[in-house]
Amino acid sequence: MARFEFRLPDIGEGLAEAEVAKWLVSVGDRVSEDQPVVEMMTDKATVELPAPGAGLVVEQRAAEGDVIKTGAVLYVLETDGQIGVTAPAAPETHAPPPAVAMSVASTGVLAPPAVRKLARELSVDLTRVKGSGPGGRISAEDVQRHATASAPASVPAAQTAVGGRHTRLRGVQKRMAETMALSARTIPHVTGFHEVDAAGFVELASHLRRAAEGGERRFPFDTLLVRAASLALKQHPIFNSSLDEGAGEIVTHDDINIGVATATREGLIVPVVKKADTLELEALASEVDRVTTAAREGKSVLVDLQGGTFTISNTGAWHGGFGTSLIRPPEVAIVAFGKVEERAVVRDGQVVARPIMPMSVTFDHRVIDGEQGLKFALTLRGLIEDPGELEP
Amino acid sequence: MVAGDQSDPADVLILGGGPAGYVCALRAAQNGRAVTLVERARVGGVCLTEGCIPSKHLAVFAAAKSSAERFASAGMPALAGGPDLGAFQTRRSAAIDGLVKGVAGLLAAAGVNVVQGNAWFVGRTRVCVATGEESVRYFDFKDVVIATGSCAVPMPGLPFDAERVVEPSRALEWTSGPRTLLVAGDDYVSLELGVAFARLGSRVVIATRGDRLLPDFDADISQAAERGAGSAGIEVALARDAASIASGFERVIVSAGRAPNVGDLHLNAAGLSSATGPLVVDDHLRVERHVYAIGDVTGAPLLAHRAMAQGRIAGDILGGKAAAMDVHAVPRVVFAEPEFAAVGPSEADAREAGVEVVIGRFPLAALGRAVIELSTSGFAKLMFARESGVIVAAHLAGPRATELIAEMALAIEMGATSEDLALTMHAHPTFAESTMEAAEIALGIPIHVRAPKR
Repeated sequence: MARFEFRLPDIGEGLAEAEVAKWLVSVGDRVSEDQPVVEMMTDKATVELPAPGAGLVVEQRAAEGDVIKTGAVLYVLETDGQIGVTAPAAPETHAPPPAVAMSVASTGVLAPPAVRKLARELSVDLTRVKGSGPGGRISAEDVQRHATASAPASVPAAQTAVGGRHTRLRGVQKRMAETMALSARTIPHVTGFHEVDAAGFVELASHLRRAAEGGERRFPFDTLLVRAASLALKQHPIFNSSLDEGAGEIVTHDDINIGVATATREGLIVPVVKKADTLELEALASEVDRVTTAAREGKSVLVDLQGGTFTISNTGAWHGGFGTSLIRPPEVAIVAFGKVEERAVVRDGQVVARPIMPMSVTFDHRVIDGEQGLKFALTLRGLIEDPGELEP
Repeated sequence: MVAGDQSDPADVLILGGGPAGYVCALRAAQNGRAVTLVERARVGGVCLTEGCIPSKHLAVFAAAKSSAERFASAGMPALAGGPDLGAFQTRRSAAIDGLVKGVAGLLAAAGVNVVQGNAWFVGRTRVCVATGEESVRYFDFKDVVIATGSCAVPMPGLPFDAERVVEPSRALEWTSGPRTLLVAGDDYVSLELGVAFARLGSRVVIATRGDRLLPDFDADISQAAERGAGSAGIEVALARDAASIASGFERVIVSAGRAPNVGDLHLNAAGLSSATGPLVVDDHLRVERHVYAIGDVTGAPLLAHRAMAQGRIAGDILGGKAAAMDVHAVPRVVFAEPEFAAVGPSEADAREAGVEVVIGRFPLAALGRAVIELSTSGFAKLMFARESGVIVAAHLAGPRATELIAEMALAIEMGATSEDLALTMHAHPTFAESTMEAAEIALGIPIHVRAPKR
């Protein structure tokens, strides 16, 4: 018998903390090796942490809703045997939990103590602040400006006088609230609406889907939308860029990493298909299937939720029509597709019924101008209306 | 002992009432926490009762004598008779009693519950305090702060005997100066005690195995320290084993460093590493989520002002404030002949770290105030980053250096440049002018010394 302190491992790329979403066992419970013990929620995903070995849970050091630093003890097991060093927990030492990056990073930053204190209070990383003083000295105003430009909006407190159920903003929902508020506050959005004739596209999608089913694979409808977007982005690289306000630069990305907005039980998650333009159609389909399925089942790995350079949002399944979207910073554009429906349109002077897909192209007007926006939309529209290019 | 399960809750439990612990207690209480402070002796700790305060008291007393002597050639009448250390000790005790009372009063006014006794962990959230021979109390804490300080360690071959071979704090209690005194050590404590007793009339030898005094200071300071010790009548024996010559001295003071007081804490009972070294803390002074450590118990530098800074910061963190140990400048001071002070890295360390510096070194011989005080031995040596002109370090030797260093620490924290210092008016005639002049030298525009060939 030995006591094993389970410490919160680094469950993401250097995430400093995570929230205890749910205890799956209680103190006094026996657990077997690899049995899920606790559900941890980070800014981006919910992760189940399995027991490193069999034993008795003798102590839980945090309650549901507590935010725990990486490296801190989460629970204590009375183990039946030795727990191997390959256990997912951090090694059992008393090394201090990682210090907040900000305070370490601030060493060498030219800012007086009171400004450094203000930065701590406003959670501003001083290494990212451009000092306006001589030699780049950072003033209180610089910190304030940086905070208002980039800090998440504070959510107004609910009126306590009105009754109702109070649900704490956390995890995926909290992340959504912060990202969308930041987007709405900082990005001048422009949206263009386009009716796209989707007859050929729908036919191609059905064909590919049937072919895939024959091989017992799946071919998500979104695959072709990702494909079309990646081809359009290749022609219009400005749509595959970011605005780095601190550096005063537009960064055009080498990789085309397309986020696919996915509705989940927890809220909106945007898993990313990396280097979408380099994948063969079959590989692209299985990658789209993999990341969106994982997101829907709440099993996303963090690396699949990071690194997006552009986002598509297909609202067709929910009978979506035209709509505006909010860009996910630091991306500069997003395209939303609605449900394909028969519409009366004029072709060669005749009113005919055609399957029309509503398409809304939204872009950041700080980076992209109206002409560039329309040209991108036309390219994308052309790829969908004449989908020959989508199939290799 | 009476073992029982009766325990008292402690919102914040602080172990140790020295400069780290009592400051933390006051700040945490200010922030609305209910604080219990355990102290085994008197609040104020080593600093107040047997370290900084009494040692500086002795140093100032001895300096007053040598100051009078220095002016003998300028017409000051000679002192009649030697110093009365007995009378001094009475005054010293009274001063300490007054200060201890002051701290106790502050703690009481802040509502801090002070418990006297030795404390050790008996669980992850429980501490046992022996409040008397037969009585113990248990406290269940939400947060605990370990501030148990450090203790002097002996030198191999020179064990303490509480009488002739003593640790520095015991020497501060002597009611008469020894005729002959050996100081074994090379640190600031050795130098301060050596100089104080030499000034008071002892024949003093400072012996160290090392090749210089104050080895953790800039080499220029070490050199000035050796010269100053010589002018105070001290024989400095470098590269010498103190133990081999100790038998020839009436008294021996050993300053061989200090070790953290962790052995009696039963840290393993709290699930903490029971290593004997200093406790490792992060920027938030945490060892674990609810376990903090501050002061000497966290290792070098063992300085009361650093302990107090940690106490303030821990008190703020306990109060939920966005505080962190984010200190750029840690000043160090030596009350010897003359005074020395430093903040920032030594010239050698800066060069080793690859920092390109410009140095301005102003000699006190060129300073009016130094001339009238008959203390022209010393300098202000300021180091600035070559590219930006931002101050990197200051090394001061001379009267009031221990006060002047505060301005240099502020300059570093504010990111001041050589121009900032040169353009700030400094009152005349004061020793403070020396830093302004040193900044001008670094800029190549000195007034009171000849401009270096460029």
